Order: sequence, then C-alpha cells, then structure tokens
Amino acid sequence: MKSASMPSGSWAGRLAALFVGLALAFPVHAQGNLEIDTPAISALRKTMQQRHAQLAPLYASGAVGIAADGTVSLRDAAAVPLAQRAQANAAVAAENADRAALYREIARANGHPEWEAEVRRTFAQRWLERAQPGWWVQQGAAWSRK
Amino acid sequence: MLATAVPLAGATVFRVLALQIAEITRPGLAAEELSVRFDAHAQSGEIAVGRLRVGAREWRALSLRCGRLHLDDGVLGCSAARLELRGRRLPFEADIEATLGPGPARIVLRLAEGGRIEAAIQADGSLRARLHRIRPAATAALLEPWLAELAARLRELEAVGVLDAELDYRPAGVGDASATLRGRIAGGGFGSGDGLRAAEGVEAGFTLDARGTGAAWSWAAQLDWDAGAAYVHPLLFEAGPRLRAHGRFDGRRIVLERGELALDGVAAASARGVFDTFGGTLDTLAVELTDVDLVRIGPRWLAPLLAPASAQRLRLEGRADLRAELRRDRLETVDVELHGAGFGLASPQGEGIAAGGVAEEARAEVLAFGPVDGRVRWSSRGRGEAALQVGGGRWEKLALGAFALDAVLGPAGLRLPGARIPLLDGALVLRDLALGWSVAGWEGSAGAVLEPVSMPLLTEALGLPRMAGVMSAALPGLHLRPGELVLDGTLAVSVFGGWVQASGLRVHEPFGVASHLTGEIEARHIDLAQLTEAFSFGSITGHIDADVRGLELSSWRPTAFDARIASIAGDERRRISQRAVQNLGALGGGGALAAVQRSVLRLFETFGYRELGLRCRLAKGVCEMDGLDAAPDGAARADGGFTIVRGGGVPALDVIGYNRRVDWNELVARLQRVVAEGVSPTID
Amino acid sequence: MNPVARWLFAAALVASTAACVTINIYFPAAAAEKAADRIIDEVWQLREGAGSAPATPPAAGDAK
Repeated sequence: MKSASMPSGSWAGRLAALFVGLALAFPVHAQGNLEIDTPAISALRKTMQQRHAQLAPLYASGAVGIAADGTVSLRDAAAVPLAQRAQANAAVAAENADRAALYREIARANGHPEWEAEVRRTFAQRWLERAQPGWWVQQGAAWSRK
Repeated sequence: MLATAVPLAGATVFRVLALQIAEITRPGLAAEELSVRFDAHAQSGEIAVGRLRVGAREWRALSLRCGRLHLDDGVLGCSAARLELRGRRLPFEADIEATLGPGPARIVLRLAEGGRIEAAIQADGSLRARLHRIRPAATAALLEPWLAELAARLRELEAVGVLDAELDYRPAGVGDASATLRGRIAGGGFGSGDGLRAAEGVEAGFTLDARGTGAAWSWAAQLDWDAGAAYVHPLLFEAGPRLRAHGRFDGRRIVLERGELALDGVAAASARGVFDTFGGTLDTLAVELTDVDLVRIGPRWLAPLLAPASAQRLRLEGRADLRAELRRDRLETVDVELHGAGFGLASPQGEGIAAGGVAEEARAEVLAFGPVDGRVRWSSRGRGEAALQVGGGRWEKLALGAFALDAVLGPAGLRLPGARIPLLDGALVLRDLALGWSVAGWEGSAGAVLEPVSMPLLTEALGLPRMAGVMSAALPGLHLRPGELVLDGTLAVSVFGGWVQASGLRVHEPFGVASHLTGEIEARHIDLAQLTEAFSFGSITGHIDADVRGLELSSWRPTAFDARIASIAGDERRRISQRAVQNLGALGGGGALAAVQRSVLRLFETFGYRELGLRCRLAKGVCEMDGLDAAPDGAARADGGFTIVRGGGVPALDVIGYNRRVDWNELVARLQRVVAEGVSPTID
Repeated sequence: MNPVARWLFAAALVASTAACVTINIYFPAAAAEKAADRIIDEVWQLREGAGSAPATPPAAGDAK
C-alpha cells in the first residue's frame, strides 16, 4: 500500500488523522459484518442446505421442531412413518452436530472463540423468528405451532 | 354355604323369588352377601354380590341385571345381562348359564367392537375360554374396574389390533394348577405419545403355558413375530425374531429364567431378567448375544446408538459376542468380545443425505481400524477395561501397523497408559491418554511422540515426490475438546538438507465437514538443489528459509496462509537453470519475465543470482504475491513489479513478477503442470 | 452544570454502567443477526438466488 502524503498542520489533515484513529480503534465494528465465508463455514452451509431437503417435510409435519437453544429437536416422532423414524433421528443428530460446528466456527473465524454461546443465542433467536408458518417452535420449554 | 329361599307370593307358582346366599367359595374365588331376585312374570332378575374376591383382589357392590332370567332344573340362565360395579355399568353384555350349587357354568361376554369371550367353567373350577376378535379399546374397558393401571397403560399406548386366543385353565387338584393361553395378534400396534416407542402391522402368534399353585407359578412362552415393525428410539426392529422363554411368576414379579431369541445376524441371543408388574419397570435384564455379525447388526443397531450423527459414515464388520446388563431400565454393564472386527469412518464429503439414500460404496474412508480382537468390559458403577489387539489401520493414505490397546474404562471415560502405533518405519507413541465423555462430546488429553519416520517411505505413501530425510514429532500437549484437537508441541521433518518444523497445530471440527487444520511452519536451510530436483522444477542451487504463518488447511488443501521464502546469505555458488527460470515465470503468470532477453535466456544453461525471495499471502482463494522485500536502494520498482530473483555473477538475471494477485487454484494448477509434466511454458 | 443536568448525567452514567454489566458490548449483535439471516436464507432457501439449487422446470425428454 502506498502511503499518501498529507498536508500536515491543515485542519483537513487533522480531521483525517482523527478519523483514521477512530477507524483503527473499532476495526471490526465499523465494518459491521461477521466473517462467514471461510471454507469450513461454507462447507457447513452447503451440507446443511442439502440436508434441508430431508428436514423441510419434517418441520412441516411437526415431527421436528426448531428448539430454543439453536438446535432442532425430534419432538413428535409419531408424525414420521415408523420405518423412517431412525433416519429422521439420524438427520436431526447430524444437523445438530453441524449447527454446533457452525456456531463454533463463526466465533473462531472472527477471532473470538468465546463468542460461541452468543453466536448460538443469536442464531437460536433467528431460526425461531424465521421459521415458516406451520412449523413448530420452542419458546422457553413449551412448543407451539407458528 | 347357607341359602334361604323366600317365596314372596304363592306356594307353587311364585311371581318374585328372592334368594339370599351368605357366601360361595371356590378355589381362589369367594363371593359374599349374594342375593338373587327373580321376577317370574317379567322373566328378568338381578344377582347382587356384596363382596367378590379373586386371588388377592377384592371388589364390592357388584350387581348383574339379567334381561332374561330363568331357572330350570337347578340351572340358572341369565341372558342379555349387564354387570354393574358400584352403580357403574361395565362395557359388555353377558349370557350366563350356571348350575346352582356345584356344577358347570357357561358365560358368553359380548364386548364392544364385535369382541366376544366364551367361557365354560366346570364344577371342579376348570375353565376353558375362547377369545374372539378382542380389541385393545374393549380390553381396556373390560379391565378398567379390575386392573385400572393396566387399562390406563393400554389407552395411553393407543394400542390397536385384534386378538384371538384360547385359554385353558385347570385349578390345583392332585397336582398344580395349570393354564395354557394360545393366540394370535393381527394388525397389532401401539405408539407412545411422542412416537419414540411404537409398533405397526404386527402379526404374531404366541403360546403361554403356566403351572403352579397360589402365588408361585412357572411359565413357558413362545412368540413368533411374523410381520410388522417396531421402533424403540432410536432403533427400528422388523418382523422375524422368534422368542422362546421360560420363567416364574409370583404375583408381582415376572422372572425370565431364560429367553432365547432367533434373530437375523446373530447366532444365538438369550436373556434373563425380572420384570416388576406393579411398578411396570424392568428390575434387571441380562442379554447375551453370541457371534453377532457386525456387517448386518452394525448399521441397524450399533451405529444409531454409538454415533447417530455419523451413522451413515460408520462401517462395521467382523464378529462380536456381547453381554449387557440393565438394572431399573438403566444400562449397567457391557462386555464385548471382538473377533476380527473392523471399523471405518467415511469422509463426510458427499454424505448420503437423501432420505433412504444408500451411502456410496466407493467413498474414501478417513479412518479405519481392523482386524480388531479382544475384549471391552464397561460398567456404569466402576472400573472396566479394554484389552484390544488391533491388526492395523489406515488414516487417510497412511497405513498403520498392528498395535495393542490396554485401557482402563470408567463409567464415562477411559485412560490409556500408553500405546505404540506403528507408522511406516516409525511409530506414533501415545502416553497418558485420558478421554472423558459428556453431553457436549468427547474431551481428553494425551502426550504423543512420533518416532522417526523416513521421508522416502512417507512421501511414497502419500503419493508425493520422493524426499530424503526423516520426520519426527514431540507433541506433549494433545488436547481434545468438542470441536477441536490441539497438538501442542512440534512436528519436525529433516529434509532437503535442512529442517521443517510445524507448531501450534490445531485440528478444528475433526469429525465433520468443516474439518480443517491450522498451524505455523518454519523451514530452515532447505537445499534448493535437492528441493528442485525432487519436484522436477529445473535446478536451483543455494539454500532458503521459509516461514508460513497462519496456515489453514481444509481437506489437506491450503485455504489461508502468509508464506515467505528467502534465500540465506552464504558464500555458496548460486545458480538457477534456464528451465527453473521458465517455470518461475510460468508461476508468476505469462510474460512475467523482464530484464532478460529471450535470446539471452536461450544462450545459457544456468544463471547466477544474488538473492531470491517470494511472498504469498493466501486468503479467499487469492494469493497476494510479493518478492524480495525491497531493492537495495530502498525503492519499490517504478513499474509496479516485484523482484523474485535478483541476478548476480555472470550471466546475471532478474526474475520480476508483475501479477500481484493470483488465483490460488490457478497457481496450483500451473505448479502441478510444471512439476508433473515438466512442460516448458511458452514465453512470449 | 445545573442540578437537573447533573442528575441526568449521573443517571445516564449509572444506566450505562448497568448496561455494561448485563450486555457484553464487545459482541457485535447486529452483525451476528445479519450473518445468521444470510445463513438461514441459504440453508432454508428462503430467498430467490440465495440457494444454489436452481428451480429447474421439468424439461421434456431431457429428464431421465
């Protein structure tokens, strides 16, 4: 990067210097974006998107609900044909493993592994809010249909 | 027995007959305060029982109202009868014919939904009953007053199906009492509210023989499950198993002395146990499975329990003997003997996600062990142990040799004093491995040492160009926590006359799609002559140092790093061959050569150089290139290029790059072309 | 500074310290929500173009 020469002493220069100082003090916040495009996060997003084809009908039937802790939960296995219950359970387990990895990875990719719990909380809330009408969501401990 | 008949009107033709009986007792049965009221005109009547005792149970205020009541030759006939218990009508209609005093009785109960029970009771107390098309709802209604908890359980489980059965009962006489129940369930099923325990379309035949006296009974049962399926979270069971069992019953506990199950994929399965009928709990259950075929049983019953999230990726083979004990519905001990067992974990990429999709056979396995022989004993309450002989294994492309594992197991973890896993001509030695299991996942720590592995063998195994040297590692601080494996220590490779050292290694999300590795690499005093020869890159002499900071590998492909390569000041003769120059030029993008005339280049085989340097910062698929830090005069090149090789001696040559942002995949592809094919790039 | 302004200032100071105790100000909550929404759009395929799976019309003769 080339260093730009600045007319020192001028008001404009002082203001610019002040501005640069601020930008350095809040480099992440000023940007306003979290890094979610690392290869690991991308791989998780892709896998989860593929798995959604299997989970979407389970959300719709109420077999699987959007849990309050950022996971999905097999809340009514009776809504799944008997022979497919084990597969539905495996899909839920795999989805939750990926989600746990996703929250960890986002925290890690942004240089703050300790943010994991907060990333999880934020996602939990967004998953709940963005759930489609008819899906089951968990608030507190209680399940309700959106 | 005391009976008084009181004709209320008329001596020969009475209209209403009332009969009071103080007590009737039969083996296992007693009725007190009986009264019979017969209305001759209406041909109807009522039998009331103040207190009825059957076995240990007792009911009060029973009354039987007969739609038609007749008494012929001492035979009491009561048809279209309704039974009331404390004023509540029971859900059936009965026809009863009974001999007053000692003698046979016939009872027909018509239940809801077409169910029907026909029973014939002989004077000696023996009973023969036929149950026709009995359904759970009718059964629950029938059982309600007598066995309220069982009825509630039947309703709760939403049981369906039709039962046809025959019951033969002989009371104790000279010998023991005996009972035989033989029957068939069709279209049977149930489901707990949450669907975690359920069955559907069950067709099964059963026989139960019991004999005994009072509260002590012995029994033998047989169950053939012909059709249907059951789900007991998270396992699916399908029709086929045949059960033979015998045991005892003391009025409270059902003791299973031995049950044998014929099961597909298991040579022999047997069980012992105690079931508490009052509490509805399994007090104890011991199961023994002999010669289990892991290929067939593994995906169905082991993978969903051991690794539900990666069940589809887990491969099991070989055979095992398994013993497990449950106490009060909780697993207490497990004892497994493995015979030539094999385990494999497929790469998560290309996971067979589609519902019902079968995982592709050819998927590469990341990790595999086998054959494994030995024994694992685990207890929920104390110390267990594992003693395994592992015949070999494979991690990615590396074959692992045979090793022994002797670990101490705890209820939720294991400790391994040490293990030596051969790797090519060296070995990975683990010490003080401690692993613990919690809801979040596995956690643990260990120390590891990699005993020297020769590089020629390693590079050959990995399919890399042959390199001389050895690799070794001292990783005293190995830590596994959910989502991360930390390898504190260093991995050192002596190669190309110098050494390469990796430190700060971390594997993130080791078992999932997001798996990636980070670390730092330092290389010192690498002999370029050996390096360029190994990679057929042409020829460069001299030595370099290299530093790779913030290296990140996903699926062994670099996704981020900040790497610098710089020649070391020294007095050796530094030469670079014509071909190496061309290759370097090709890496920098077409036409990256300056300060050298093509004609001049062609005139000489090698050129002298003073120094060499290259920097590549990789992020988001783009390598930001830079060359030697700065020119001797301290100024950046006016044309925006960066110097990779600065010439010196005769003839001298500079290699200058102009393309500072290079697509990483493109760069790798070029490098591979140059290395693999040795094709001279075109120079314009 | 007049008493009212002083009081307000003190109240604001107390409020902001209390906020510091209960809310981790270092966590970029808004950015995290934005990131979550982007990922949710993609995983649940809620927005046109967010998903990579294009809605392919059943092509005659081409399919199968």
